[in-house]
Amino acid sequence: MFDDSKRAFIAINDDKEIKKLIYPRRMYKTLFKHYRLKSYRSPGYYKNLVVNIFMGLTVLYFVVILVIMGIMLPGLLREIAPQQDSTAAFNGMMIYAVIALLMIRYLMQPLSALELENYRILPIKRETLVNYLLLKPLLNPLNYVTLCFAIPFAVTGIYPAYGTGCAFRFLLIVIFLIWFNTLLAPLLKRKFNNIFAGTIILLTITGVPAGLEYFKIFSLFQLSQHIFDFLTRTPFTWISALLPSALAFFLNKRYFAKNYYPENFDRKAKKKETDTGRFTFMERFGKIGEIISLEMRLVLRHKRTKRMLYTALFFLLYGLLFYPNATYNNSHEWLLFVAIFVTGTGMLIFGQWIISWDGSYFDFLMTRDIDSHTYIRANYFLLLALSIASFIATTPYFLFGKQIIIYHLVAFVYNIGVNIYAYLLGAVFNTKRIELAGGSPMNMQGVSYKNFVVMIPLLVIPVTLINLFNLFSAAHAALIIIAVMGLAGILFREPLLNMVEQQFLRRKYALCTGFRKKE
Amino acid sequence: MQDYDNRSMALSDAPPPIPQSAGEVAEIITTTNLKKIYHGVTVLDIPFMEIGNGESFGLVGNNGAGKTTFFRLILDLIEASSGEARIDGEKVARRDEWKSKVGSFLDEGFLIDFLTPEEYFTFTSKVYNKSEGDTALFLESMKEFFNGEILGTGKLIRDLSKGNQKKTGIAAALISDPQILILDEPFTALDPTSQIRLKKMLNELKTTKKITMLISSHDLNHITEVCDRIVVLEKGKVVRDIRTSENTLKELESYFAV
Repeated sequence: MFDDSKRAFIAINDDKEIKKLIYPRRMYKTLFKHYRLKSYRSPGYYKNLVVNIFMGLTVLYFVVILVIMGIMLPGLLREIAPQQDSTAAFNGMMIYAVIALLMIRYLMQPLSALELENYRILPIKRETLVNYLLLKPLLNPLNYVTLCFAIPFAVTGIYPAYGTGCAFRFLLIVIFLIWFNTLLAPLLKRKFNNIFAGTIILLTITGVPAGLEYFKIFSLFQLSQHIFDFLTRTPFTWISALLPSALAFFLNKRYFAKNYYPENFDRKAKKKETDTGRFTFMERFGKIGEIISLEMRLVLRHKRTKRMLYTALFFLLYGLLFYPNATYNNSHEWLLFVAIFVTGTGMLIFGQWIISWDGSYFDFLMTRDIDSHTYIRANYFLLLALSIASFIATTPYFLFGKQIIIYHLVAFVYNIGVNIYAYLLGAVFNTKRIELAGGSPMNMQGVSYKNFVVMIPLLVIPVTLINLFNLFSAAHAALIIIAVMGLAGILFREPLLNMVEQQFLRRKYALCTGFRKKE
Repeated sequence: MQDYDNRSMALSDAPPPIPQSAGEVAEIITTTNLKKIYHGVTVLDIPFMEIGNGESFGLVGNNGAGKTTFFRLILDLIEASSGEARIDGEKVARRDEWKSKVGSFLDEGFLIDFLTPEEYFTFTSKVYNKSEGDTALFLESMKEFFNGEILGTGKLIRDLSKGNQKKTGIAAALISDPQILILDEPFTALDPTSQIRLKKMLNELKTTKKITMLISSHDLNHITEVCDRIVVLEKGKVVRDIRTSENTLKELESYFAV
């Protein structure tokens, strides 16, 4: 924030730059330059290289999957619907795809309005700023990921059947529809501030045509097919696919014209009474209980942590992908992997954030009458409570077979006997402050390679062990060893926690200094 | 130390030097050879500093003079490059014992911004093992200072104005009934009425409870009204150490008017 305003200030002090400010077209150039500089000069850009590489690999992974899916799709469609040609089938799904992607964008695409505050006080036309705000996401390559799927499909599906012209028209239409989605999603987000209500509205909008389709009253599929078949096959009609994007653009502009002040379009839910309900049951545990109930409030009162809480619910369901499937249900390593994963959900989600999520008030905690002994134990009990809750929440999986009970119990003991210390120790070494107020769902702020190092004992060790023993068909021996490791960890809790405490004291100043740095 | 050795030799036959030991008890904070170096730049270098029990100690200096660094060293929030700070004769570094005696508010890093002020006060007082009655009594005594804007509004601390956040932080520093109070620029961001009320409150605490106060400020008027002793820091070094008198304000103004 500060850097931006400084930059804007420098810009206006420079004679040449003043001219740029007056001519709108040059202004766009300057604004987009600032946009680029902002990402390069953000303090986390180079420091967080490992995380960036990891993220890059993840993106690459999805891109590769999309490309493969795009190549395979024509063959797949022929198999599913042999009576129809693949292009027509794809065109039929187009409107549904647009709605589905719009929904994803609605949930994931961040709003970028507040950044403009620095510029609004400068002599720049408001319209220039609004246009910039609207067009900025169109320059973000991440918004074009869908093309990774569409291009291979155009090459393998459309080109052989209809030729180059048709394939190109198809791709142009896809790009226009991406624009439409990218422009419409923020507008919806601004209009329906409440994500929950918005999701329900969007689900209804999708649900109604899907229902009509199902009862064969009205087929959006056929409508979509007619429209896009016509557009891709007739020259120059593809231009009309620009209409929705143009419409979305002008709706956006109208919205901004109506809501002149950012306080109107970025308003948070009006001053709401905070539920001051205390976690009274925690009071019995003294200072430790106070700290744990503080962390619980922290989770419930920040967007980012609340979203993680929802993610945790999805993680708990992860077992449903594996347990009903015989291939996985008979494989020791998969059973163990999934067991550790689902019974450790709470720890997996929040464990990598403990201590560093206290970053914004760490100086306060360190100067109050909370000794390190208490503080470390409070974090320990928090993780323990999360693990117990996850274990209880996953007990319905026992219905998938007796062996699941054994695997879950072993995994649980391992989680609270070994992994819990890995997380505590990992937390002591993570000096990055976590900004919980940050809004974007793909927010990786505050994540460092240390978070990934923690994962090693978590999953790699037990899975390697069971694989190793399985070579001699003694997977049960591995389970016993893993359980014994866990029990030993529980038994030697005090010395292990004291060790963490010593490391914490040793790292105290590094933590204080790290947490004071805002990104 | 040197001095003490000489004297004890000279008085070897006499009874133990009483004023000496009494003097030692009166010092509640001592720092020796305290130095902080960041990347080769010395930001604080104080060979020796004693702050007496019940003394109100004012710290002034331009930006970057080392005021906050000094406070952070005393609060054990940063590691000293050399030397040490002691509270009540005990080292502070990596210890917890001193924490029960000290109340402090330096910056927004001392606020838990997702709590309401009430929750924040309750949390703080619970940590010091205060009862709910004590807390209620304390908040009652803060009513005038809060001016009806902090308690009972249902707002979270992050939604309060900067001035009200500051009031919240200062009150939380006092909630534990501390022997030592450390405040970094408590007057900035407060409205004029609150500044005057804060001054009154600090002067009362000084006379009735004999609290030791360490306060930094850019406002020379306020600091001379509150503190008995003013220390001027420049580039990490102590350049003035004055007992406050009627001439102090003028002296400070002439010092800073460059």
